[in-house]
Amino acid sequence: MHVGIIFFLIILGSVLFHIFTPWYWTDIASNWQGMDDTITLTFWIGGGVFVAVCLFMIYCLFKFSYKEGRKVEYKPEDKKLEKILTWATTLGIAALLAPGLIIWNQYVNVPKNALEVDVMAWQWGWQYRLPGEDGKLGTTKVTNINDENPFGINVDDPFGRDDILVQSDYINLENNKPVKILLRSVDVLHNWYVPQFRSKMDAVPGIVTFYWFEPNKIGEYEVLCAEYCGVGHYAMRGGVEVQSTKDYNVWLSEQETFQDLIAKNETLEFEDNKLAKNNNINLKQDIYKEE
Amino acid sequence: MSDEHENKSGYQAQSSETIHAQSSEAITGSGSGIAPDMDYVRPAELPEQDLYHPHSFIEKWVFCQDAKVIGVQYFLTAVFTGIVGLILSWLMRLQLGFPGLAGFITAEHYYQFVTMHGMIMVVYFLTALFLGGFGNYLIPLMVGARDMVFPYVNMLSFWMFFVAVVVLMASFFVPGGPTGAGWTLYPPQTILEGTPGHGWGILLMLISLSLFVIGFTMGGLNYMITILQARTRGMTLMRMPLTVWGIFTATVLAMLAFPALLVSSIMMTLDKLLGTSFFMPTILKAGEVLEYGGGSPILFQHLFWFFGHPEVYIVALPAFGIVSDLISVHARKNIFGYRMMVWAIVGIGALSFFVWAHHMYVSGMNPWFGFFFASTTLIIAVPTAMKVYNWILTLWRGNIRINTVMLWCLGFIVTFVNGGITGIFLGNVSVDVPLSDTYFVVAHFHMVMGIAPLMVIMGAIYHWFPLVAGKMLNEKLGKWHFWITFLGAYSIYFPMHYLGFIGVPRRYYEMYDSPYMTSGVGLNEFISTAAFIVGAAQLFLVFNIIKTMKTGKKAEQNPWKANSLEWYTSTVPPEHGNFGDRLPVVHRWPYDYNVPGAEQDYLPQTAAPSEVAHTEVEKT
Amino acid sequence: MSDPNIEGFELEKGFKGMAKDTGSDQTMFKGVHWGKAMMWIFLLSDTFVFSCFLIAYMKGRSSTPAEWPNPSEVFALDAFGVPVPLLLIALMTFVLITSSGTMALAVKYGYEKNRKMCGYLILATALGGLTFVGMQAYEWSKLIHEGVRPWSNPFGAAQFGSFFFMITGFHGTHVSIGVIFLFIYCYKVFAGHYDKGKRGWFTKMKGDYVEVEILGLYWHFVDLVWVFIFAFFYLW
Ligand code: HEM
Ligand SMILES: [Cu+2]
Ligand SMILES: [Cu+2]
Repeated sequence: MHVGIIFFLIILGSVLFHIFTPWYWTDIASNWQGMDDTITLTFWIGGGVFVAVCLFMIYCLFKFSYKEGRKVEYKPEDKKLEKILTWATTLGIAALLAPGLIIWNQYVNVPKNALEVDVMAWQWGWQYRLPGEDGKLGTTKVTNINDENPFGINVDDPFGRDDILVQSDYINLENNKPVKILLRSVDVLHNWYVPQFRSKMDAVPGIVTFYWFEPNKIGEYEVLCAEYCGVGHYAMRGGVEVQSTKDYNVWLSEQETFQDLIAKNETLEFEDNKLAKNNNINLKQDIYKEE
Repeated sequence: MSDEHENKSGYQAQSSETIHAQSSEAITGSGSGIAPDMDYVRPAELPEQDLYHPHSFIEKWVFCQDAKVIGVQYFLTAVFTGIVGLILSWLMRLQLGFPGLAGFITAEHYYQFVTMHGMIMVVYFLTALFLGGFGNYLIPLMVGARDMVFPYVNMLSFWMFFVAVVVLMASFFVPGGPTGAGWTLYPPQTILEGTPGHGWGILLMLISLSLFVIGFTMGGLNYMITILQARTRGMTLMRMPLTVWGIFTATVLAMLAFPALLVSSIMMTLDKLLGTSFFMPTILKAGEVLEYGGGSPILFQHLFWFFGHPEVYIVALPAFGIVSDLISVHARKNIFGYRMMVWAIVGIGALSFFVWAHHMYVSGMNPWFGFFFASTTLIIAVPTAMKVYNWILTLWRGNIRINTVMLWCLGFIVTFVNGGITGIFLGNVSVDVPLSDTYFVVAHFHMVMGIAPLMVIMGAIYHWFPLVAGKMLNEKLGKWHFWITFLGAYSIYFPMHYLGFIGVPRRYYEMYDSPYMTSGVGLNEFISTAAFIVGAAQLFLVFNIIKTMKTGKKAEQNPWKANSLEWYTSTVPPEHGNFGDRLPVVHRWPYDYNVPGAEQDYLPQTAAPSEVAHTEVEKT
Repeated sequence: MSDPNIEGFELEKGFKGMAKDTGSDQTMFKGVHWGKAMMWIFLLSDTFVFSCFLIAYMKGRSSTPAEWPNPSEVFALDAFGVPVPLLLIALMTFVLITSSGTMALAVKYGYEKNRKMCGYLILATALGGLTFVGMQAYEWSKLIHEGVRPWSNPFGAAQFGSFFFMITGFHGTHVSIGVIFLFIYCYKVFAGHYDKGKRGWFTKMKGDYVEVEILGLYWHFVDLVWVFIFAFFYLW
């Protein structure tokens, strides 16, 4: 008796918790509404199965708890019932899989007009690069990276000259304009994740990975690293500001290009200023203490 | 070396004559006098096993070759590691719930705790406990064998495991401490500065894992061959208890999945020690280019998960098997859909080799793999769901004893179904994208492969304790133990999913400088408190065992009135050789409970057809 | 325990019979010695180990950006002043395959209880294995002399040396372990342990010529794996 009641309360509690929880997803700020919808659908179907199974179990506890001499059914198999259950389950699963795959198909096919953003990760920080007027990013190489060339752009690549460099953990994006995030890492795995955008992908050293989304809500969002990357992992944050086209263009025009940087470095060298901005890699060094 | 000497030293003098002796009386079936033809069982195919009996304390309790003692040794060693894992989880929860309260938990320490906790729980605790512990104890008893087929190798298996545990524990005391690379050990981070324990710690971990694999292989060969080649007369494959099926399939998975772990461990050790670049691309650290280059970090992930996913089922399948048996015994009803259950176990096992990359949807692998692996993953849900239906249909119209053992089984059903459903979220590629690497994942895998198997282990302890120790555990303490553990564990992990929805990433030492995540503070405090209580509640079991051993009620021969062979040994607890002079002969499956017409509500597997001719028993 | 000859029992014919026998009581593989079954399953597991190595090698080779060295130049051997590609490897392969042949004969004589022949053939197998390991050591030292290291080499992609030393080393370890056991078994055969059914030093199991066959299975496997390694490293 008690047992059945307690189990019932647990199930009831779970359902109520789900309905009234103050902890739920953040307001979505990208085009991936479909992911949220599939989650909701899965909640309905899956949650329904969970509740049904548990209630059936509880019913059995009430109905068939031990009584000396109770008549028990002796029926090792029931082919028909098993068949019905198998097909019903298969159907339910298919209903969940289909939307999942459709959205995945959108996720891996990037729209043509997406703005490419090079997101470069290291232990433990981010920096960004946007294509310049030619609309193309220059090619890069890890071994090119040094104080004068923080992104490792191939100096001979004409596309690279006008690239816009954002040497900061923060970046601005234009509202309602799809972006293709191109991820690279110079050391270990990282993952550029903004919960409000719902999307993520690992940055893997040695290759360039990508994903895309279209921000659709103006505001500031926190970037989290979502792939373990050493002791500084939890502190590897950044930020995104989604702006209207006008504000975005103002911001964009204030950014430095690779060409500017080269010129600046030349003057610096000329003045033999040894206090030149060091590589960002040292910025977060304090997080890591030698054991 | 004469025969005489051999006899003195205690060998069972068995020769090939035994085989004739047995087969000539084969027709008499269970040997109950003159039996009619209906009791015919195939003649013996095997001679009596040649057992080596121990002669000294050391041979009897330390380097023992008896699978039952080895099982207990495995069990105790695994429980020891489990306690270490539990303490580590407390420390982590202390940091997460009450950051800064325990000043000594630095970020380095936190990551070391996460890593050691995860690896210990999955490999050294659950795998060793289910296969090494329950497998060794139950397989020979349940299939009606006198021992494992190669007792000596079996003994080596345990000691190899023991050394692996010692090496693992040693890593807590080396310079730099244990590895803090996460239990997935993803390179390049694992062996680079910036990760705690990237020196000695990771080396010892890799060595320990390799030793574990070698040790496990020796045990696994024994389990497999004992089940395949050493069953007793009448014990056909489709008459084996589901426990044996679960452990068997898990062992097959382990034999085929551990190689990938071994290979990736070897390759990573070489990357670390010799500076090869299997998994290491060109890396820039602190402004300098390291000597590595050209390797593939994703290759490691494929190898790791080719092991890692079957590993999940290595833990789950024995739990499935055991819980089926417990439910059937205590619901006094045949397991529903036995054949379906067997095929589900085998099918899940086979499919589990084709889903590994569902852990890698956002790893940067070719995104087109997503379609394939999402489909295979969701297909696995079908046989798994069938098993759940069959468990609850076994309760239907049964005669359910609501005792401690049954409570753990019910707890298992609730947590397993819950965790299984969240698995469908994570398997479904695009749904996984927002959830992967968040606390939703942490909650999911704890529910499905942490708590659910733990429920089964507890149930199994209460169920088989009378067999192993000859005494009945106290029911009242058992119920307290169950309710606190179950309610506590459920309230740890059910709400935790919602932290994942907010977007809290896993493996975060602390979180609360993010404005929109402060709402999780209260929840985290609650979860941590529940975790402390659950851990402490395990003392009920310790206390119960101590009390029972001192003053407990002596167990009768077959206290639960079960059918399977382990309850029909010549003595309780069973001695070396298990079944006395004569091996049992099996005539039916182990689930004949409440057969219409039978005097008792159970029919042992050894009951001959002629003895039950008046019942409506179905032919099995 | 030797292969049991089951009295009053016959295998049923056809596919149905096979399915029935497979699921029937006591044994799944009828009449198969426990030790032999165990070795087969171990070899299956070991196959997965080598497959993982070779698949990792394929992936590593195809994804590394640097150029892969040309095997027929790297592995060439100077014979009378002319570099002959694959000469040493051809010899090694020949020796190993021959040793598989002698092993098979040893098993045959073992079952015929021909102690002498069996012993000599095992000895021959062991010596073949030893020669193989020796030649491999020679090849390693030659490569090391030429500057090939596990972490780098003068010919191209560093992964070449890494995979080469790791996989041939792992295989060589298998051969060496096999050789050690061959010598032990050779002693046991000559000392007549298998004729008398003398119990093992550690295992305390009764000796039987079936053990020679079990070791033979291992030996043939090691041989077979070599053929794959040969194909993947030297011919690709
Ligand atoms: C009540 C007992 C337990 C508590 C309180 C607990 C708590 C935790 C916590 C706090 C983490 C770290 C989460 C993070 O920072 O990402 C964790 C990780 C983990 N736990 Fe548990 N755990 C428990 C039992 C188990 C069991 C029984 C298993 C066996 C499957 C298990 C397997 C893992 C694994 C695999 C990880 C991941 C480690 C990693 O991220 O590398 N835990 N657990
Ligand atoms: Cu990170
Ligand atoms: Cu998986």
